[in-house]
Amino acid sequence: MPSIVEPPLPEARYTYGGDEFIFCEIAEGMTFGANFKALAICQELGRRNLPGIVEICPANASYLVRLDPDVIAPGDLMAELKAIEASVDPESASFATRVIDVPAYYDDPWTREVLMRFRDQHQAPEGTDLEYVTRINGFKTEQEFIEAHHGAPYYVSMVGFVPGLPWCFQMVAPERQLEVPKYLRPRTDTPALALSHGGAFAAIYPVQGPGGYQLFAICPVPIFDPKEELPDFKESFVIFRVGDILKIRPVDRAGYDAIREEVDAKTYRYKMIDVEFEPQAFFADPEAYNAELVRRLYA
Amino acid sequence: MIRVHEGGVRTTVQDAGRFGLYHLGMPPSGALDDYSFRAANLLVGNDEGAAVLEATFSGPTLEFEQDAVIAVTGADLPLKVDGEEQPGWTSLRVKAGQVLSFDFLRAGARAYIAVAGGIDVPVVFGSRSTYALCVIGGLEGRAIREGDMLPVGDARPAAAGRTVEERLRPALPKEVELRVNMGLCDYRLTDEGRRSFLESEWTVTPAADRIGYRYRGGELSFVEREQPFGAGSDPSNVVDLGYPVGSIQVPGGIEPICLLNDAVTGGGYVTIGTVISVDRDAVAQSKTHGKTHFRAVGIDEALAARAERRTRLDAIRTALT
Amino acid sequence: MAERTVRSPLPGTFYRRPKPDADPFVNEGDTVATGDVIGLVEVMKTFYELKADQDGVADRFLIEDAGAVEAGDDVLVLRD
Repeated sequence: MPSIVEPPLPEARYTYGGDEFIFCEIAEGMTFGANFKALAICQELGRRNLPGIVEICPANASYLVRLDPDVIAPGDLMAELKAIEASVDPESASFATRVIDVPAYYDDPWTREVLMRFRDQHQAPEGTDLEYVTRINGFKTEQEFIEAHHGAPYYVSMVGFVPGLPWCFQMVAPERQLEVPKYLRPRTDTPALALSHGGAFAAIYPVQGPGGYQLFAICPVPIFDPKEELPDFKESFVIFRVGDILKIRPVDRAGYDAIREEVDAKTYRYKMIDVEFEPQAFFADPEAYNAELVRRLYA
Repeated sequence: MIRVHEGGVRTTVQDAGRFGLYHLGMPPSGALDDYSFRAANLLVGNDEGAAVLEATFSGPTLEFEQDAVIAVTGADLPLKVDGEEQPGWTSLRVKAGQVLSFDFLRAGARAYIAVAGGIDVPVVFGSRSTYALCVIGGLEGRAIREGDMLPVGDARPAAAGRTVEERLRPALPKEVELRVNMGLCDYRLTDEGRRSFLESEWTVTPAADRIGYRYRGGELSFVEREQPFGAGSDPSNVVDLGYPVGSIQVPGGIEPICLLNDAVTGGGYVTIGTVISVDRDAVAQSKTHGKTHFRAVGIDEALAARAERRTRLDAIRTALT
Repeated sequence: MAERTVRSPLPGTFYRRPKPDADPFVNEGDTVATGDVIGLVEVMKTFYELKADQDGVADRFLIEDAGAVEAGDDVLVLRD
């Protein structure tokens, strides 16, 4: 894979979201650079610990701040955010993050059962979602699509929608990105822990509920645990944070069942390592950089 | 304890909300009409943010096992104690064994039932508010139903017969004007689309709930463009972003949704503006099939409205504390 | 004939049938007992059963199938 060269970022757009929110769109299109910039600004805002900041939410190519206008004037916060933007240099920075092993069972029976109930809301009702995403991405076989899907790690660019749901942007050049439309009309049901793809993002549904992404896999390990029963959830009821790097590891039915037993016994531990992520090294040679991250994860 | 004889169509425990977790996808939940919620707590001597029952469209039937001081605010949902009509926006003493019930809704949409001591369900991630989608908070993460027992916290001494004067109660009009701060991704709207949004008469659809209020009436169009990378192919798609509470999104251009306290925290639909915080109370009291207009305002007018609301709430605080 | 009504406690959309191609719950002339389901009200994306709170004979519906109903509206007139 050649190096990743992203276009320079446009001027960020700032608007108020009523009197309690400020929204900043870093760019209209998704790039790593847009996300690194949003994340860098949010991290600096957090470090400044200003009174009246209620929420700081980095997103794919934007960020959202909730404020209490009775404590901090929206205009003052707007000025502060613009000053922070001028002061950060996300391209030179590296940041601490984690690489996490995420097992997934592709072409599973549970997502298949659900997707078959919603054919009339899909672009290609005569087949499965997996057949469709394989075809529109130019792969000859479903296995080739699956290998492309888990072959390179993903970067978590946003967490939200419902608690713990990660938007995952694959760490490959734009021409290698898998792209799929969302359903014509969203489903009213999706199995909990379905691993899906929509637009240029993979996503894992933390709980059962509506959704519009293409379905073709399921994860055995919870990503949202409000009762904090699994050991990895003692400090936070969700696993993923913006900046995490995920390595999807395919398992078969037997592998899936074995992991489910550990989950039910409340003994399963996610395999994860801490790393210092260096955007410039990644951009220069993504394939080699990813291979090194994966090597260290499984060492 | 309060014994639930009948739950009402959707009655949940709510307090001021769950904050600090929006970046992880946890919405704030909490009382939708924040003004009426605080007034109810003030009437019974609670902290303003204490947990109450939020009743939607119809009221529950509740038997009080101990003496209690209660108050009902918000919608015009006529209340009775042991079959006798009692006033809203007034603290009432109920005796052990007495039953609170409600007649048909007359105006507004949501009533707030406060009990001195607050509804003492467990605090989950910092709040007692119910977030039903993830079965979090409230009573077992769901609406109350027949047979439930609601624990009540320790009450401060509270006098009966205290009231909020008429001029400080919300108007509950049938036709609602919502002040909207245009922005977010409103650059996606054509001039025609913007006009349609701000000039149409919109009708609240029956689907409206704590997740969001959906409206029908006009039709919005989007500026044609090549969709940016990662945005998805529909013109009403954007690269997924965070949604302010009260923001308005328009999937497909025909059904604006005003996102409320239990909504998703982000997603990939075009957002065109945000209802100002004060007018979220008005959304919460909008009737099904009711008419709504949206009016564009800037941040200064939003803050002025907020200051005016604080003046009214301060008048209630002064009168009752 | 004394006329009494069954009122809807909820706003929403009123349906006379459990499903679009099924028979109505109640036809004019049917005997209705307290607790009988006389229709559905759809609101907040959920269907709620509307039950008779008194006995009687169904005289006429005041809200048509798939019609808008407000909280407190008279839905079904009952006669003795």
